[in-house]
Amino acid sequence: MGRMTEFANPATYVVEGLLVFLILWKILSARRGRELFIRRIPGLSVLDEAVGRATEMGRPMLYAPGMSGLDIVGLQSMAIMSHVIKRAAAYSTRVIVPLCSPVLYTVAEEVAKDAYATAGVPELFIPEDIRYLTDQQFAWASGVVGIQHREKIATAFYFGAYAAEALILAENGQMVGAIQVAGTPSIIQIPFFLAACDYTIIGDEYYAASAYLSREPTLLGSLVGQDYGKLVMIGLVLIGVVGVTLAALETRYHWLHGVNDVFQNCFLRYFPGRR
Amino acid sequence: MSNVLHRITNTLFPVSVAGPRVWVYIGAAIVVGVAGLVALMSTPPRYRKIIVMAITFLGGLFFSLEFLLPHEAVQVGARAVPGSAGVARFAEGLTNAKPSVADWVMIIGSFTLLLGTFNLFQMHGKAVRKKTAGWYNSLAFFISFFLIMTMGFLKDGLSGPAQTASTQLFAILFNGFVQQLDATMFSLIAFYIVSAAYRAFRVRSAEAGLMMGTAGIIMLGLVPIGTILTNWLPHSGPLSGLRLENITYWLLTWPNMAVQRAIEFGLAVGWLAMSLRIWLSLERGSFFDRQL
Repeated sequence: MGRMTEFANPATYVVEGLLVFLILWKILSARRGRELFIRRIPGLSVLDEAVGRATEMGRPMLYAPGMSGLDIVGLQSMAIMSHVIKRAAAYSTRVIVPLCSPVLYTVAEEVAKDAYATAGVPELFIPEDIRYLTDQQFAWASGVVGIQHREKIATAFYFGAYAAEALILAENGQMVGAIQVAGTPSIIQIPFFLAACDYTIIGDEYYAASAYLSREPTLLGSLVGQDYGKLVMIGLVLIGVVGVTLAALETRYHWLHGVNDVFQNCFLRYFPGRR
Repeated sequence: MSNVLHRITNTLFPVSVAGPRVWVYIGAAIVVGVAGLVALMSTPPRYRKIIVMAITFLGGLFFSLEFLLPHEAVQVGARAVPGSAGVARFAEGLTNAKPSVADWVMIIGSFTLLLGTFNLFQMHGKAVRKKTAGWYNSLAFFISFFLIMTMGFLKDGLSGPAQTASTQLFAILFNGFVQQLDATMFSLIAFYIVSAAYRAFRVRSAEAGLMMGTAGIIMLGLVPIGTILTNWLPHSGPLSGLRLENITYWLLTWPNMAVQRAIEFGLAVGWLAMSLRIWLSLERGSFFDRQL
């Protein structure tokens, strides 16, 4: 069983193959010009309001990518940051980005420079606003808290991987009266953001953010493909529930033994884990 | 043929190197790295993007094949599928190469640490030079940076009483300052939880009321007073399910876990979609479709 969990097994080929196919299929159909619908996400629709508030107050905004490094979470955070900076640039509002990963810092600097240039105001880019603070979790948190209080930020965006520092930042954001929008794939931190922020995007909405904000066909297609992928996952869960229920009933209805044997050998054994 | 390949691989990427040869390898790695960078920068932008896309694809392909290829010969009945033993050997080779690939990623990442430090110097240097508000904090950064760096070098490079002194000073700086300040920041969370909970638990809607009620049950179920409150209920039988600690256990294990797993499924599919877009260079927006 060891290698079955360490490397791909037949179920992995089928499930991953199906998910990859669905995502690529939807991307291609979106690129061919097919109209796709995505529901409203309040946490992302509020972006303009949040930028507008900072502009009216004449105070800067904070975009904190958390403890993200150069990984999928960090890159998604950079994609969202790019949109935030483009909107902010249109109103000449400063965005301060404190980072805790030196690798992501180099990417963030390029993304910010590019976003200002795309918005047609490259001269508004201030290199000091993209700041590498430290790679130590709580030292980074205290650095960000310092920025929140010194700069009296009007709006704070927390998009990225977060751990215990999530609540520290969100509570200090509350103290300075900032409107706060958060999104993180770190499940344990979602309740803290929900409690302390004005808007929180949950779960896979984090990965939907760039598609939602840009409305770019490739990203929209990928998003719809993700939804089909979730249907596949729901189907698998239902099959698993039926199978496990039948296994539990076997002690009372012995004729189920044959069905359960087939189910065990053809399905359940490829999903190793606690049962 | 495989012997020759093995010898070349061992010479280029030895498991360990000792003595003056270390410097030869370090020098060669720097020269190759700089040459690669210069070559990339002097490539016309149109082709540069293709190179970056190809490297991204190959990187993704390495990890995908390492995970997806079978690591044991595939058996049909008593016989192995022809060629599957070779595939398994290849996959095993990829797995063995994984630590080296991870080392490359770490080495490239460590170069960016210099850029990060440069950014810190630039920012704090400007603050000290222009004597902006709070410039003394920036001065404290320089003092602590150089002090802990010097002590770090001295404690490993010296011997005798000087080494003891530098080790002690390093311990004071690290254990006495860095770790204590870390612990201070962490302990602040206790207070923030109270203020956040106060706002979250104000009953303004049916959902907030439900959350308040659930949180109340869980908090009571996790402390001895909660157990005492429903201690009059039997420990077994149908009514035992109404004991606070059992309700808490049920809430945490069933509804809460189900929701968490549902979110995790969504995240995993989102992660896969994003990885796929980056791997196949389909990602759009931010810096992904810009001219390099």
